[in-house]
Amino acid sequence: MKAVKSRNYILFYLNGERHQVSGEQAGLMLSDYLRYHKALTGTKIVCAEGDCGACSVLRFFPYHSAKKKNIFLPINSCIATVAQMDGSSLVTVEALAQPELTSVQKAMMNCHGSQCGFCTPGFVMALTGLAEKKLCAKSTSITEQEAKNATTGNLCRCTGYKPIIEAAVNIDLKNLTSVKDRFYSQMQQKDLAAHLKIPVLIKTEKFNFFAPTQVKQAFTYNKPIKIVGASTDLGVVHNKRKVRLTDALSLHLVSDLYEIKKQGKNRLTVGARVTLSDLRLYVKDLIPEFAKFLDLFASPQIKNVATLVGNVANASPIADTPPFLLTMNTEVEVHGPRGKRNIKLESFFLDYRKINLKAKEIITALHFDIPQKSEALALYKISQRKDLDISAVNFAARVTWVNKNKTQIKDIKLAVGGVAATTLRLYKTEQALTKTELSPEKINRALEELHQEIKPLSDLRATDSFRHVVTENLLRRFLREHAEKVES
Amino acid sequence: MSQLPHDSAHTHVSGLSEFVDDRIKMQNEVYVEVLYSPHAKAMIKKIDTSKAIKYPGVCGVFLGKDFHENIWGTIFRDQPLLADKEVNFAGEAIALVAATSQDAAAEAKKLIEITYEIKPAVLSVQDAIALESFIAGSRKIERGQVEKALVSAPHKIENSIVIRGADHFYLESNVAVAYPKEDGQIEIHSSSQHPTEVQHVVAHGLGLSSKDVTCVVKRMGGGFGGKESQAAPIAAYAALAAQKLRRPARIVLTKDDDMIMTGKRNPFEIFYSVGFDNDGTILALDAKLYSDGGAYADLSTSIMERAMLHSDNAYFIPHMRVTGQVCRTNYHPHTAFRGFGGPKGVAMIEKIIEEIAHYLGKDALEIRKRNCYSDTGGRNITHYDQVVENNCLPRLLSDLEKECDYQTRRQEITVHNHKAVKDLSLPLKGLSLTPVKFGISFTTRFLNQANALVIVHRDGTLQVSTGATEMGQGVNARISELVASELGLSRSDVRMMPTSTDKNANTSPTAASSGTDLNGAAALLAIRRIKSRLSELAVQLFDLPESRWARHTAGLGTEAEISVNVSAPTNDPNANADWNTGIAEFFGVTFSNGQVYLTEKPEKRMSFHSLVVEAYHHRISLSEYAHYKFPGLSFNKLTGKGNAFLYYTQGVAASEVSIDRDTGEAKVSRVDIVMDLGRPINEALDLGQVTGAFIQGMGWVTTEKLFYKNGFLLSHAPSTYKIPSIQDTPRTFNVRLLNNNENKANVRGTKAAGEPPLLLCLSVWTAIHDALKGLTQFKYKYPHMELPATNEEILKAIHPEAFKKWSKPLGKK
Repeated sequence: MKAVKSRNYILFYLNGERHQVSGEQAGLMLSDYLRYHKALTGTKIVCAEGDCGACSVLRFFPYHSAKKKNIFLPINSCIATVAQMDGSSLVTVEALAQPELTSVQKAMMNCHGSQCGFCTPGFVMALTGLAEKKLCAKSTSITEQEAKNATTGNLCRCTGYKPIIEAAVNIDLKNLTSVKDRFYSQMQQKDLAAHLKIPVLIKTEKFNFFAPTQVKQAFTYNKPIKIVGASTDLGVVHNKRKVRLTDALSLHLVSDLYEIKKQGKNRLTVGARVTLSDLRLYVKDLIPEFAKFLDLFASPQIKNVATLVGNVANASPIADTPPFLLTMNTEVEVHGPRGKRNIKLESFFLDYRKINLKAKEIITALHFDIPQKSEALALYKISQRKDLDISAVNFAARVTWVNKNKTQIKDIKLAVGGVAATTLRLYKTEQALTKTELSPEKINRALEELHQEIKPLSDLRATDSFRHVVTENLLRRFLREHAEKVES
Repeated sequence: MSQLPHDSAHTHVSGLSEFVDDRIKMQNEVYVEVLYSPHAKAMIKKIDTSKAIKYPGVCGVFLGKDFHENIWGTIFRDQPLLADKEVNFAGEAIALVAATSQDAAAEAKKLIEITYEIKPAVLSVQDAIALESFIAGSRKIERGQVEKALVSAPHKIENSIVIRGADHFYLESNVAVAYPKEDGQIEIHSSSQHPTEVQHVVAHGLGLSSKDVTCVVKRMGGGFGGKESQAAPIAAYAALAAQKLRRPARIVLTKDDDMIMTGKRNPFEIFYSVGFDNDGTILALDAKLYSDGGAYADLSTSIMERAMLHSDNAYFIPHMRVTGQVCRTNYHPHTAFRGFGGPKGVAMIEKIIEEIAHYLGKDALEIRKRNCYSDTGGRNITHYDQVVENNCLPRLLSDLEKECDYQTRRQEITVHNHKAVKDLSLPLKGLSLTPVKFGISFTTRFLNQANALVIVHRDGTLQVSTGATEMGQGVNARISELVASELGLSRSDVRMMPTSTDKNANTSPTAASSGTDLNGAAALLAIRRIKSRLSELAVQLFDLPESRWARHTAGLGTEAEISVNVSAPTNDPNANADWNTGIAEFFGVTFSNGQVYLTEKPEKRMSFHSLVVEAYHHRISLSEYAHYKFPGLSFNKLTGKGNAFLYYTQGVAASEVSIDRDTGEAKVSRVDIVMDLGRPINEALDLGQVTGAFIQGMGWVTTEKLFYKNGFLLSHAPSTYKIPSIQDTPRTFNVRLLNNNENKANVRGTKAAGEPPLLLCLSVWTAIHDALKGLTQFKYKYPHMELPATNEEILKAIHPEAFKKWSKPLGKK
């Protein structure tokens, strides 16, 4: 190790109180720390995989929220280590009432949004997060759809949700004090900001944690180490005791990795620490189709911490952003001990969960196209349940036309997930659709190619035949929705 | 009828409600982890725990032999607490590791080496039928001359229905903490619907007598039937570690382990022949029900019985035979789940109704109305000979038909689908309206009893203890409202105490929707005895000047003591009560707003608090214990005849779905429900039961798919097992309660709400079928889909040829 001045503890504020954690405790999941070490048992653990929201707490982290007004966001405390909370301000359900219930809590009580009570703290936190957003926007009402969107990451088995929706739309925002005003003091801000400039190094028998403040410092760590972003997958496999998280490298202190930048008119650069929530805000008008797609997958709690780079680096064949990115000429920017290189995404996925990275290399950003007005983009996601489910098949298509009446394709890029060991670009299918005018015969030939190119398996999400049929139907749908009607 | 929030709502929303795992850890407490079989069927040749016991932090490793009696079972005692010779399902517990930390216990568990000899497993109902692998015998309920009526019927349909299971997905997984107490006693805190069974299983397992085991249930984070029987062995694991180590022991299953280890809703396969006439009147039905019971009996035989008793649902079927057989397979022992067998029987008959309608080219609602139980023409007697009293079904059907604009929407959907068949960009739409008639009572007579302990303290506040367990349904809120209203107090004057076997023994599980009916009635009977004594005392006090009341004189002993009579016990919670208020009056004394006064001379009054102080000083008991049982139950399990139920809860739902033909995705766009819940104690809580049950059922019939590989459940977490999310809530979701003041059979004219509305979810399943009926391949044939109709199941029905083309023979899927 080079002699960089570092600290051997994590600093965060919990319900306004300063918490300095060092040693093995830093490796605990936040929910365990809260429940079993701080007796804050209002935060519940149900799935330990970020799929139910019962463990939701509110978190502010300055770099994530710099460009946004709303700063306290709900996150899942069951799949993030205490170490990853470094520099954050946290609020749990117990701190809300003072002791009079907040208007969020009153609404949940009076509209009967709680039955057994086990999911309730999570819903209260998710709705408090929504209310916080509303307060920052100086809005005084919540719509049903906003209520649903804010609680997509929370499961309830008792109420049928109807009373919870009623509670949400009945929150009296006028009589609610912002969490930010209550729990984020000037002194706290200064304390945290000062700490964000100092690297963290925690070494223990069972858990090692290293957080540099610059990318190049990262290469000084000599043991094999896992890069943790939001650990929305690593945290899950850790909890399920498949792979334990013992050596973790976090880039949360590297401030330039939080940047989203347009490069000219046609390219976008997204830093490794940019969360999906921040990205969604950014692309809302720039790439509306992608923004809409980001609404469908993962929960708000996940998207408030999970990164686009993480979704790519994880190299899951059913990850939801790679099909889109594969149609967008994406380049993966990588830093290593020997410098920087860019890798085309098409050659980045090597095999099932294998990526084209050398030892110690770190993904620092993704660069990809911003689709232009002349192009059509379609993103589909098919899963057992429409929202917050892992895909059986996901599909992206991007096309430009030779002619205005959309009968001949100039360029098409098709990418599909869930049908092979990696997300696939369908080169042959693309070829079969280009060059000449579309015709039913031409489409049928393309479909034959498609079925040759994909190699789906049967698993618990779908059978291989379902994946064949759906992939074909999605291509048909894309052409139906975007091409001039082909007589058949 | 109140609209009060759940009695724990304010602590729920504050994160201050205490669940079992929220109990603060004791200094010397140990965590218990369970090792279970990965194989569906195997002989256990050897168990080597030597490495695990040496792992740092491990305090003990326990096997089946460590139990005094290694056997349990709710109906039949057929299941080992820890398997020792053979395993009969994947997920069957074999060994326990107790350690000072959960981490140590979980890591040490991996070091236990078990040698298995894998045996062929029975993994389908068909295989079980072929091998005659059954649990208990075949049952039959029969009326009329089925064969003859089937032969002479103008039309006949023979078909089958495949119904899959579902996980309860209570948010709080199974959990227990056991404390060793002095003199060998065990106190166990469990998340159980049946503390008495926990007490008994722990006592037998540990070789203790019942007097030395106390089970306490404060609340559950959801139960839904899943904690009726299956919480008991989990509690026994903690208790064993506590007994052996003489340290508190805690067991908290992960969601994954909970889902793998515990049984689900029983899958069913049903084969039927139905005969009907040109108008769609059902003439005869012969139905053979087979259920997958899993490896052990659990509650499956009772579940089958309820399925058989609900195969008629809302319809009078003159000639009817239902046979039921539980199959023994190598899955987790399937168990109670909201609705018990009811939803399976009803799924069958509702499918039959839709098929008849499709066959005759009529609207299914017409067929439903035609066959509905009615008070005329002798069409009000079930196949088990119980008369359907207070029959609201015809009224419910016609009310909802109007309210949801059924006929107009039917026409619109027909026009829409006509277009959609040709235009792929349009979804297919479906609409279906299904009723439910759900029998309230345990079908096992002796379970229909309850007891309650009511204590009035000298400050005029009350503590009430019953055998009912709180799992979110609001049984405590309802009971406390019953008790408070009887004394003219507010609900906040009454504290419902944790359910505990040292106060309420020999209780039944909180199940069969009967929690409030049974325990509420018992509590009401108890409080009325106190009320009667207090009333009699009040009358006498009002004759004395206040200066001579005991509060001023008792210490002096200058006044004569007033004594009152002990009222004769009654089993009727509506006895002496005014039907409209439900309140009983004794000795002409009214209890209202914290005051007690002579009804005829309201100026003669005192506060409830003062009266209680007087009663104490006059040595009048302020506590009471009462027992209650449902009257009039005569169902005979051998003959399959008699009154099985105290009354029926009824309801109807109309569901509209739209289906994406490219992906098979179904969206429930609108649901309208009218539910007959009699005269609710708390309308808000009842409505919560209706919406909650409906959406829970909707998950079962649509997205919830249990995926097994070689008998091992792979969809064992919410990432792979998809219960409905908030986005699945229908955009339009109207729920209303029927005004029904006539249910004289039950306490204060209420009706049980817990299970019945779940069965209305079948309207979603039939609506999905309805949407597909317009496709050419279904012109003459009713769509055949399994339940649940997942998007894959739907897509397969829409594109059968494409599926055939791409399905490779992959061996067992």
